[in-house]
Amino acid sequence: MSTEHSKAAKEFLKNQTYAKWHDATFWAVRSKRDNMAYGLDEWEQLREKASQIKRHTITHLDKYLDQFASKAEENGCIVHWAKDAHEFNEIVYGILKNHNVKKLVKSKSMLTEECEMNPYLEAHGIEVVETDLGERIIQLKGQKPSHIVMPAIHLNHDDVGELFEEKLGSEKGNHDPTYLTYVARLSLRNEFLTADAGMTGGNFGIAETGDIVVCTNEGNADMSTSCPKLHIAAIGLEKIIPNYDCLAVFQRMLCRAGTGQPTTTFTSHFRKARPTAHPMHIVLVDNGRSEWIGNPEHWEALKCIRCGSCMNTCPVYRRSGGYSYSYFIPGPIGINLGMLRDTQKHSGNVSACTLCLSCQTVCPVKVNLGDQIYQWRQQLDDFGTANPQKKLMCKGMSMVYGNEGFYNLGTTLAHWANIIPSPLMNCGLNPWAEGHKMMEFPKKPFHKLIKDLEK
Amino acid sequence: MSNKEDILKRYRANVREKYDMPDLSDIKAITYPDPLVQFIKMTENVGGHVIEVKEGQDLNQLVKGLYPDAKEFTSNLPEITIATRNPDTASSACDLNGTDVGIIRGQFGVAENACVWIPQQMKEKAVCFISENLVILLPKSQIVNNMHEAYKRIKFDETYDGYGTFVSGPSKTADIAQVLVMGAQAARSATILLLPE
Repeated sequence: MSTEHSKAAKEFLKNQTYAKWHDATFWAVRSKRDNMAYGLDEWEQLREKASQIKRHTITHLDKYLDQFASKAEENGCIVHWAKDAHEFNEIVYGILKNHNVKKLVKSKSMLTEECEMNPYLEAHGIEVVETDLGERIIQLKGQKPSHIVMPAIHLNHDDVGELFEEKLGSEKGNHDPTYLTYVARLSLRNEFLTADAGMTGGNFGIAETGDIVVCTNEGNADMSTSCPKLHIAAIGLEKIIPNYDCLAVFQRMLCRAGTGQPTTTFTSHFRKARPTAHPMHIVLVDNGRSEWIGNPEHWEALKCIRCGSCMNTCPVYRRSGGYSYSYFIPGPIGINLGMLRDTQKHSGNVSACTLCLSCQTVCPVKVNLGDQIYQWRQQLDDFGTANPQKKLMCKGMSMVYGNEGFYNLGTTLAHWANIIPSPLMNCGLNPWAEGHKMMEFPKKPFHKLIKDLEK
Repeated sequence: MSNKEDILKRYRANVREKYDMPDLSDIKAITYPDPLVQFIKMTENVGGHVIEVKEGQDLNQLVKGLYPDAKEFTSNLPEITIATRNPDTASSACDLNGTDVGIIRGQFGVAENACVWIPQQMKEKAVCFISENLVILLPKSQIVNNMHEAYKRIKFDETYDGYGTFVSGPSKTADIAQVLVMGAQAARSATILLLPE
């Protein structure tokens, strides 16, 4: 009866030392977030405003997108619209080909992961170099991110040390994080200087000014756009917000919620290309968003600002890791976005939730993440992805609980199950026994017990 | 129909209920009795250094004293006479690689998070990131409380009007096993020189 998620989580849990570290590390990030939130009296007010701004913006997005695009074009940028992942990849490749680009350096972008851009460009002969340290590590390792903000969190310093020995020629046996970071810095510096183009994602697009705003700690988005002569920014439709007053609210929350820092080191505003570069390109990507806004239960997932706080706090994510989820974004927001993308592929993730609602308690824009997961579960039968064993059990339970006679008979007779030898009950044939010990049924049912007491 | 119209039309058709923009003027944002004191404290918290420059103190000597081993200083500021490279006249951004100390000007600082607003004020903005160490000159009277105040104030440069950034401390990462390391891809240290009026 295990879902794909719980089967994958079993793999993760094989290394108990690491699993404990993972859990504790994310709980520490959650605690840092709390310190930030408690440090501001206005935190809850900001969350409410942020939620309202997003609700307004995504239900008027046609207007703001038009304003953003007009302003960006007025600034001298070239704006492209991609309806899906394939079109996005084609547009980016087209721009790179026109400029005869051989090497592209890029900062972290979940959108390019969503569109699987790197393999597409590589298949067309373009060298793509990730420049966020975590992304670079997993690129060298041939892996995918296991967290949207801390993509290489599933590797420890020995894993990275051995990887760098092999790929970057670092000193054998020196696995000190400071040293390894310096090795990556030197190697990436060379990539920045020899790349023909730089790509960034965008945390926000500002309709009133046409700015693309990118927040990083490393400065890699700025390095990616300071040396190469071409800048392409890729941004999902829902990242557009009206103006700077709104941006102030989100800038204050993004990093406090995500990593527990008061701000990212760099909050960079890209309005047009630098004087010595080619015009800047902006690609606005739909890829499902214009459909999702019409989903009555799940449209608010579009409010997400990708801070990662819902996965940091999630007891299931902390104890199962990013690779246990079938969608490339893990945790509560990933469960919901995965279901919006493809219910057939990603239904297994909806069980990765205890409905504790910690996620929606910390979400800086108040996405009702846990409520949405509950809603998805109610629809599994319609999608044809409900588990047949659980379905049968539910039918049986409806029959027993819906009929007083059956119910009383059942509770009276249940204690006969106690005499079944334990190996027969606690075995693979009984799905209940997986991770639980079968309970012992009392001789007197609860109703009878109360009635006897009242005598 | 163009892609743009196609996407906007579909989006418009699928929106169900519309919501109003909230009033943002009633946000009770944090303020500080002395924003400068808070700015200094936060700068140190995020791994930066702060030096209060005394009236009449020579900036060039001060910077040289801070980085005695530095050879390449990059700046286009007229008062920085020790500069060996100029981001306005460099033949390409890549030529600024190998800069030991970059010296730039900030417009104002933000007390709540140590951000300094740095609009691009040079031909090659690379100097702000490619330098091993970054020195930011900032008038000490120019400190606002929070980002709401900051976003009401930011302006781009008239000549170089395409880019501006808030910088808070040195470049950093914790991507290897969550250990904090200063100096990821941009400057490994950041020093704010607070200038008297």
